[in-house]
Amino acid sequence: MAFFRDAKSAAFLAAALVALPFASSEFVAYQIALFLIYGIAAQGVALCWGRLGFLPLGHALFFGLGAYLFGGMLKGAESNPALYLALPLAAVAPALLAYVIARLVFARSSRSGPYFSLITLALTMLGFLAAQQWSSLTGGFNGLANIPDIPGTSRYETLYWLVAVAAVISTIVLAMLATRPIGVIWEAVAQNEERLQLLGYATDRIKANAYAFSALLAAAAGALFSAHQGIVTPQAMSFILSTEFVIWAAVGGKKSALGPLLGAIVVGYASAELRDQFLYWEVAVAALFIAVVLFLPNGVAGLLKRRAEPRYGQDSPAPPVHGVGTSTTPVSLILEGVETAQSGVTILDGLSLALSGPGIRCVIGPNGAGKTSSFNVITGRLPLLGGGVTLNGHDIGGLPAWRVARKGIGRKMQVPSVFPDLTVRENLGLAVWAGRASGADTLKRVTLGWHTQLLGDILEEFPALASQLDSPAGTLAQGHRQALELAMTLLPEPRLVLLDEPCAGLSPGETHQMIDAIKTLVGQIGAAALLIEHDITAVEAMGGDVYVLHQGRLLDKGSLADIQASATVRAVYAGGRK
Amino acid sequence: MLDGNIPLHGLNLAYELATLALTTLGLAIVFGLLGVMNMAHGEFVMLGAYSAVAVQKLGLPLLAAVPLAVVVCGLLGYVVERWLIRPLYSRPFDTLLATWALAMLLRKLVEAVFGREYRNVESTLTDPVTVFGLQYPAYRLVLIVLAVVVMAGLYLWYRRSAAGLRVRAMTANPVLAQALGINTGRLASQAFVIGVVFAGLSGVLLAPLIRIEPGIGVDYLLDAFFVLVVGGLGTLGGMFGGVGIIGGSQAITSSIAGQTSGYAVVLMLSILFLWLKPNGLFSRR
Amino acid sequence: MDRRHFLQATLAAGAASAIPTAFAADPLKVAVMIPQSGPAGLFGPSCKACAEMAAVALNGRGGVLGRKVELLFGDAGLAPAEAGQAALKLWKGQKAGAVIGMHDSAVRGALVGLFKGQVPYFYTPVYEGGECATGTYVKGETPQQQLEPVIPWLAAERKPTKWYMIGNDYIWGRNTNATARGYIEKTGAKVVGDEYLPFTVDNFDASLARIQSSGADAVLVSLVGGASVTFNKSFAGFGLSDKVIRLGTLIEENTLAGIGFANARNLYSSSGYFANIDTAAAKAFAADYAKANGANAPALNGLAESTYEGFLMLEALAKKAGSLDPAKLDAASEGTTYSGPRGAATIKARHVEQDIYVADVTDKGFRVVKTFPKVGAGQTCRV
Repeated sequence: MAFFRDAKSAAFLAAALVALPFASSEFVAYQIALFLIYGIAAQGVALCWGRLGFLPLGHALFFGLGAYLFGGMLKGAESNPALYLALPLAAVAPALLAYVIARLVFARSSRSGPYFSLITLALTMLGFLAAQQWSSLTGGFNGLANIPDIPGTSRYETLYWLVAVAAVISTIVLAMLATRPIGVIWEAVAQNEERLQLLGYATDRIKANAYAFSALLAAAAGALFSAHQGIVTPQAMSFILSTEFVIWAAVGGKKSALGPLLGAIVVGYASAELRDQFLYWEVAVAALFIAVVLFLPNGVAGLLKRRAEPRYGQDSPAPPVHGVGTSTTPVSLILEGVETAQSGVTILDGLSLALSGPGIRCVIGPNGAGKTSSFNVITGRLPLLGGGVTLNGHDIGGLPAWRVARKGIGRKMQVPSVFPDLTVRENLGLAVWAGRASGADTLKRVTLGWHTQLLGDILEEFPALASQLDSPAGTLAQGHRQALELAMTLLPEPRLVLLDEPCAGLSPGETHQMIDAIKTLVGQIGAAALLIEHDITAVEAMGGDVYVLHQGRLLDKGSLADIQASATVRAVYAGGRK
Repeated sequence: MLDGNIPLHGLNLAYELATLALTTLGLAIVFGLLGVMNMAHGEFVMLGAYSAVAVQKLGLPLLAAVPLAVVVCGLLGYVVERWLIRPLYSRPFDTLLATWALAMLLRKLVEAVFGREYRNVESTLTDPVTVFGLQYPAYRLVLIVLAVVVMAGLYLWYRRSAAGLRVRAMTANPVLAQALGINTGRLASQAFVIGVVFAGLSGVLLAPLIRIEPGIGVDYLLDAFFVLVVGGLGTLGGMFGGVGIIGGSQAITSSIAGQTSGYAVVLMLSILFLWLKPNGLFSRR
Repeated sequence: MDRRHFLQATLAAGAASAIPTAFAADPLKVAVMIPQSGPAGLFGPSCKACAEMAAVALNGRGGVLGRKVELLFGDAGLAPAEAGQAALKLWKGQKAGAVIGMHDSAVRGALVGLFKGQVPYFYTPVYEGGECATGTYVKGETPQQQLEPVIPWLAAERKPTKWYMIGNDYIWGRNTNATARGYIEKTGAKVVGDEYLPFTVDNFDASLARIQSSGADAVLVSLVGGASVTFNKSFAGFGLSDKVIRLGTLIEENTLAGIGFANARNLYSSSGYFANIDTAAAKAFAADYAKANGANAPALNGLAESTYEGFLMLEALAKKAGSLDPAKLDAASEGTTYSGPRGAATIKARHVEQDIYVADVTDKGFRVVKTFPKVGAGQTCRV
């Protein structure tokens, strides 16, 4: 059963944890419990870093918050039993805080990875300072002491079992999530966040949700920590502890659910025991860490585990796209006096064009005319510094890429932009889920098998894709990658499709096939398409209107024959006019 | 308290800024010019300070620590650049982690060799001299003057010399610089080594004035990072601006509300800049 | 520890065990919590040396209740929670039967909460007073002991009128200064400043500027280890040592070495022990220490020597109670006496009534200038 496949690593862990106290002693089990606790927090770090590709350098902030909150509530509950009901807050409140932080930071830019890391670092240091100074609340340097046991457990004897259960649950949940659509989405964020945004995924929210979940893990671990230690000091919220989480996640394996736990136990526990006996032990650990970074990016778990098992579900029909897709008015796009610039260079200088109704139009012009840049402004990749962009009567100027995508615009990039380490099937799946899958759907296995009529047609047009469904997209040849990206652009069934040189790098035969496919598929979904092309034969084969851009402005518009006859166009192409 | 003792506060402020500038300089070169997030920067400062400890243990004068620090940091810098940094140039997170691991390695090595206790380095110049009508430790005055001289010299070199021009070209447009025949690989390697040597030298200079123990690197690293984040990477002017803002706000807040508040203000400023203006005030990268 | 020291310690231990004493079957493992890192790390080596000397001495007399003393060391210089983990490993993991603690009060708080009176715990260094937990016995000097006779004496000698108090921001620093305030005001002087700094601070410029502008002519220094060294060095560096006198209750030989004799002019230290006290017992102990540890030994000081005294307390109490059960030890503790390098000591209310010495600093180091005999600890613990 699928569940048991997911739970393999967790089952192994459970067996080992059950055997431990009998194989050694209760006190050793108590000590190992501490590293299980740390390991759960490290699993949170690995989730963000290994799956989503951003590194939280200050995760101890949430660990410490969970510890102080839980410890404080346990102490208070001795005189006020109502507080027992509030205990879950110790994990939930830090998670909410994490969500807010991540939303604020990621909303600014999708390229804020390293800055996010440094912000989390600075925040944890602020937390450390606050914990030290606010002695009335936290006990300051001396810490919050005399924390009682969790009712029903005893610190040195039975608390171990509670911790073991928590570790097993955390491992199962993480392993399961990795095999669900949400796991695919997370990895897509790490591999090509921009492409995901162009499909309409609100990646800043996805990252924030994942970060909040990882903070929940850390805070829950912190809560167990306070009961385990009986005392919480500012060190539980420190930079040093945060970096230990990162190290354990790295050495154990950041892409694995079980890895960070093993990293914490093996490296952490061994260090605690051997540090006093071997003078150079910690030097060896540091050297090991360097070796892992240089040679073993996926840690020890990466060594042990072969390729991840392919994720797929049984074929099932996908629900329709919700939102924009079902309007009856013809699609219309209007650019009016659009201006944009970058690094002081003006790129678009008052570009105005309009189209309405389905059908393919081509955009041509000399290099630097602003063709790709016009697409970039429409999809929010370049700032709109003047003028307006209207889609179906709504102003979309300046919206972030994913919002624009959700309004029904699909974009294919100049250099084929796919998710290189995901399989072709998973790439297509992401496009199918765009605009269709709700949050709950991303947690279900069945979503992996969603199938649409269009998907079937695409696979017929491009048999090469159908035969390589389980290969990583990065191994595809250029032509097949173009086809894959075209497929991904069309699968959400947008009403306006922006295609940027779909035939670039293709042989004449492939170009022919691509042109036919575009005409068929775009016609099938009844969309309007703008196609940037350099190849005049391709433009000819498309039929439809042609827009000529030059120096950031619309130079001319009309059928291909008109354009070819136009004197102004000729002059520009022949270099006769500046 | 902000009382009438302006010369004392002024000198203290100058001392803080000088210290910050000297310890940031190495990272400004490595991170600002080369884009390498060297998390072991503070450990090179620490190694410089321990060079002074070692030299004193051997009974040699403090000045002997200077060549020792240069040799140790230079060699280490060369090895690190060649085998740790260069393979990871295109992977910034991995560079961050690898240099963090290096920092741990250096810290633990020093712990194993020298022990974890706090050390002190003596210098005859810590006696007070009378200046502006008050008594002030002579060594600090020397440090302030040295910092000004070094910064001025560096600025002139960067702006006026041929080598400085090559470095500026490489920073602005590495591909074009390479096309023009500038050996960017070797220049980058040299810049890294120079950066960590500067860090080590600042450690030697500071040794008589600070407490020395294996863990002091982290504070210097973080201060330097925050200075560069606020001031902006890639320009000397940015570094000065960052030093002024970070050092100044920390000093002012500390004298009003205590050192912890001073540091908290630095952290909050850095968070704001990282969030809203990650390129800092004067960036050119 | 360097090779010479290790060799000598092994020889000494070997020599002691060559004496034909029949020990009971199971040795008594004593957990010794001393600072091996952090601001008090500089005391680690000397404390270790004294603990080893104590084990040799005790075993030479037949051990504790006939059991051979074995030492287990743990690092108490870490933050309280981590030090607690280290102590836990020695107590529950390696089955230590008694604990000698030479570390700061924050760690003591953690350990008291950890042990909950289940194992005898001897706390030996200078501290702020107020520890009355079951099973806990305190050798350390309290602010009452160190300041009540000393401040009036200093007032008569040097006649300070304005005191500035500075301390590390934790219970010892704050309690010491708070206790001192009463004594200072009773002498007719005024307290013009009272500030606290975290352990991590190593730049005292702002504080020194405040001291100068306050017009203080005396400073009470309640800083620990490395902080004390840096503060006092800077103090002299700003030319204050000739204008302002200093009094400290935790300035011992290692700290003084760090400060430098020249920078310690007009610095007074009040303590239960100095290495150069002129009594027969103290001189014999100092000679033994030098012989056991060689010429390059870490400087003998009050904190390290207090570790030795802690073992003497353990021996005396165990003998009187006939057991190591904390309840029996508590019952037997009041009035127990023992004699060590500091002289005669009497256990009262879990603390120790002992002699207090005041020293100033010459170019050769500490010079004891006044002795107050049998000063009570001023504590009101019920046993």
